[in-house]
Amino acid sequence: MLPKFASVIARTKDEALSWLSSLENPKIIAGGTDLMVKMRAGKHYSHVIDVAGIPELLTMTEKDGRISIGPAMTHARLSAEASIVRSARSLALACGLVGSPQIRNMGTIGGNLGNASPAADSIPPLLIHDAVLTLESRDASRKVPLEEAIVAPYVTSIDGKELIGSIEISPLRGYREGYRRVAKRATWAISRLGVAFAIREEDGRFTDARLAIGSCTPMPFRAKKVEVLLKGAPKNEATISEAIRMALEEMKLISGIRPSYAYKLPVLQGILEEVLRG
Amino acid sequence: MFIGQDITRVDALDKVLGTAAFAHDLKKNNMLFACVVRSSRPHALIRKIDVSAARALEGVVTILSHEDIPGENLFGAIKKDQPFLAAGRVRYKGEAILVVVAATEETAQRASDLVRIEYEDLENISDPFLSIQSPVLIHDGGNLLSHRKLVKGDAAKGFESSDVIVENTYSTTWIDHAYMETEAGLGYLDDRGRVVVASSTQNIHYKMKEISRLLAIPPEDVRVVQATTGGGFGGKLDVTVEGYLALAVWHTKRPVFMRYTREESLLAQTKRHPLYIVYKTGARMDGSLTAVEVNIVGDTGPYNSYGETVCLRAAVHATGPYEVPNVLVNSRMFYTNNPVSGAMRGFGVPQLALAHESQLDEIAGLIGMDPLDIRMKNALKRGSLTATSQVLNYSAGLLETLKAVEPFWRERRKEGPGSGFGLGCMYYGIGNTGISNPSSCYLTLTPEGRVEMHSGVCDIGQGSDTALLQILCDALGMEEMGIDLVRGDTDTSWDAGSTSASRQTYISGMAVCNAAQKLKKYLKEAGYYDGKPLKDIYSDAPDGSVPIFEGHFDPPTTAPDPETSQGSPYATYAFATHMTEIDVDEVTGVCKVVRVHAAHDVGRAINVSNVKGQIYGGVAMGIGLALMEEFIPGKSESFDNYYLPTSMDMPEVEAMIVEDREPTGPFGAKGVGEPALIPQAAAIVNAIHDGTGIWMRQLPCDIERLKLALEKNKENK
Amino acid sequence: MKTIRFVLNGKETSIEVEDNETLLYALRERLGITSVKEGCGIGECGTCTVLVDDEPHYSCLTLASKANGRDIKTVEYLSSSGVLHPLQEAFIRSGAVQCGYCTPGMLLSAYSLLLRNADPDAHDIKEAISGNLCRCTGYIQIEEAIKNAAEICKCHSQD
Repeated sequence: MLPKFASVIARTKDEALSWLSSLENPKIIAGGTDLMVKMRAGKHYSHVIDVAGIPELLTMTEKDGRISIGPAMTHARLSAEASIVRSARSLALACGLVGSPQIRNMGTIGGNLGNASPAADSIPPLLIHDAVLTLESRDASRKVPLEEAIVAPYVTSIDGKELIGSIEISPLRGYREGYRRVAKRATWAISRLGVAFAIREEDGRFTDARLAIGSCTPMPFRAKKVEVLLKGAPKNEATISEAIRMALEEMKLISGIRPSYAYKLPVLQGILEEVLRG
Repeated sequence: MFIGQDITRVDALDKVLGTAAFAHDLKKNNMLFACVVRSSRPHALIRKIDVSAARALEGVVTILSHEDIPGENLFGAIKKDQPFLAAGRVRYKGEAILVVVAATEETAQRASDLVRIEYEDLENISDPFLSIQSPVLIHDGGNLLSHRKLVKGDAAKGFESSDVIVENTYSTTWIDHAYMETEAGLGYLDDRGRVVVASSTQNIHYKMKEISRLLAIPPEDVRVVQATTGGGFGGKLDVTVEGYLALAVWHTKRPVFMRYTREESLLAQTKRHPLYIVYKTGARMDGSLTAVEVNIVGDTGPYNSYGETVCLRAAVHATGPYEVPNVLVNSRMFYTNNPVSGAMRGFGVPQLALAHESQLDEIAGLIGMDPLDIRMKNALKRGSLTATSQVLNYSAGLLETLKAVEPFWRERRKEGPGSGFGLGCMYYGIGNTGISNPSSCYLTLTPEGRVEMHSGVCDIGQGSDTALLQILCDALGMEEMGIDLVRGDTDTSWDAGSTSASRQTYISGMAVCNAAQKLKKYLKEAGYYDGKPLKDIYSDAPDGSVPIFEGHFDPPTTAPDPETSQGSPYATYAFATHMTEIDVDEVTGVCKVVRVHAAHDVGRAINVSNVKGQIYGGVAMGIGLALMEEFIPGKSESFDNYYLPTSMDMPEVEAMIVEDREPTGPFGAKGVGEPALIPQAAAIVNAIHDGTGIWMRQLPCDIERLKLALEKNKENK
Repeated sequence: MKTIRFVLNGKETSIEVEDNETLLYALRERLGITSVKEGCGIGECGTCTVLVDDEPHYSCLTLASKANGRDIKTVEYLSSSGVLHPLQEAFIRSGAVQCGYCTPGMLLSAYSLLLRNADPDAHDIKEAISGNLCRCTGYIQIEEAIKNAAEICKCHSQD
């Protein structure tokens, strides 16, 4: 049995925001795949606000060169959504790898972000697409880049009265893009390592390279220094080795040397070699 | 002819309709709910128990301790050394201390959380190697539970005459049974005041006896019923919920229901024994094995459960299915305050298979012999002497299983850099080791002209109900429609022994044949085979009644010699070869199992589809054991990090059935339940070596261990 | 307590549920549908699988209130016409049922697959049941059964 709470089903975003503002100790539920587990383990909220059915949170639009993703969209839907497959392929792949079919049918991208696990598969792809969250409360609205919204493992800077209104990303076209992850069994397992990449090459040079790594640092991180190195650099073994060395250094700078790095560093090295060599 | 046909499983319909009544689904009016308060300490004296806050909760009916047990507090499958409810001392984290009974499950759990227990910690003995050094005794007899020695020939001399000797250490860890249905049951008093317990279980008569001891009432006043059981694999042989339910019913006089959460099952239930195996093998240049010396140390946890059995089986099967003239095995089980290790599919043999199969491949590599050839050279066959010097008189089809995979083995081609092929062979004694383990059943005729088979056999999904019906039909020469199965109830059946040791087809099957012989004789005399209907045979019976027809079978075995374990511990053995193809991704350490050819000498396949089903399931469990399953006490709390293979982890499997008929078995049948699993992990480990050059001697060979080994291998080159 | 209204196995149904109740609990305890099982309670085994608008969900992780206005199917739906669904027949014939605890959830995941994809290949089938654990069968005969059932369903839909 879950701890006692009162639940309400919000039909519109305004309703949800109003409740968030006024109810005591409220918590948003979308798919429930993270929250239900936490509550079963004893986490207590007085009020649970169900936002999974709010139409405004379920739509996707493209405007001014940015794609706006509704946070209540499920992983299943996003993995199959044509515009995501076309212009944010790493995100489509990552969403297709979350959990199991049932989890993908239930779990939402907003929920995945809100949970902010270091191993969340959707986060590295969102990072390389310059994701910006619109955080809305009853009386205000603000935009926060994703990397600033996640402040610690499982901790976001989203206020208790705020709701993710939308997730905006830049589409990437003409990139070799993908998401690689490693886990202890073929599916339905927490990623031990995740790499989202989008690479553009022309005439033997990297014209643009985006790289984000998950499950290796307290929060998934975008390897910006590596991206700077690669941009315009010749595509050869020297560049690739240097890029990898830099990525691993950046990681160690963030986290120190963790015991898991004995495994993760060589794996990451191998994956980055494959990714950069194409 | 029903033997060898894929007769539809008798229980399948209810299961696909969703109407099968599992223990979790049982209900009775006015029923209460029970839950267990468990120790949070691995080894401690209980100084104080305060149930006042728990008792005060509205809806709590009673809270029971060992003091409320009218009879014996100690139970155990082999030795009665485990308390139903801890009496002043706990020996593992999760040990049962109290039973809370309440009006709702939620209340029972909340009350359980309100119980305050003060412990005085004792030394936590967590290392089986050091257990014997500790002055703190887990049990009065000392911290060694069991030591079995197997001596055949002269191992020292055998090594002297070897051309090559290989010695390695292997280790495995705790594995959870992880049946999809956790332990559960419903207890109540019937209208005669008898205690009835229906549960998810692998045996019923044994539990009846334990409940009888617990409550100090005669066994006739206890009835145990097997609910449809959602998997066992050895984890539901010990008493689980049955004792608590019986006690709760005894005190409250009301029906009581209880089910374990998955977390509780993982915490408190028995596990596969971690075994540390130091294995030395000697051979000649021609590949013949000359000597095997094995030292086994097992962590048996704080209670016997099936520890003695695993100790002995591990020793007896240590050489693997090969003729070795000189054998010395020391198998020791030590008590610790770790989880209770008990029966799990294979009883120590899957762990030994890891060792004996790797050893053989390493020897083969040193002398330049193909792994299949070295196995064929040493394979046990009819007339061979086993490690206990038992002569295999009959069914010994290992060579046939090797020949069945041979064409695929000879044709194997590496697909890429991480591609590898491995073989794993096994043999497994059917039935309990060197002790009497009889099965009894009886047949009756009904006024409606039906034959009723009264079976105490617990079908746990492997298909024994169906197999026994097929056996009976053929033994009687009868149509299936004419036979009704009355099963799973101590009131209407006799003790068939536990569903374990892969014994039901062979032993209960022979008991059924024994009964059938008698009924057949009766029916013949009554004119059935000349066309007289059963209904008329019943009504025309002399003295107005038809007798019941008893069947018994106890496989002929000899107790192993206490010093040397020599003897004939089993009446028959199953044999198998698994050929496994893997592909290791050297970047990530992921080992994909690509294809398995699994050949099993089952004597006779009663139901081919069900035999294959066991083989496929065994392959899956073997993949789990080899590559991903690892129960870490305190960390493996639920399925979010205890990983079982999914559909995507499975390879293509070809199951090949070899039938070297066992004359002492029903229509030639032996068994397959445990054999299906036993060689699989070993084959994967050998395949990994073939693909990467690395010997993985510790299970699980998960992605991290494999990658680290690959990296080390690169450095060494 | 609130009242929720939904279609259950083709019939309009309404029950009262607590706010903190799971759909698993509501189905088993309030509606007596014990075919839906609890195996782990945290969405890691699949035995609690139900179809919500024909998509597989874990009912142990679904608040009962989420069923409001939805179409919910449990394994009873498959035989609601009074005969076994081809999937159920195929499961029986192919040896796909051993202990049976995972069976209702498996059947529903398979049924959902066939609604989406009348001609699934081996990988589609594996993926469709990849969120349903089985400890007994090794999945192989389950996958065979689903393939066989797909063939039969295709024939039916062509009639």
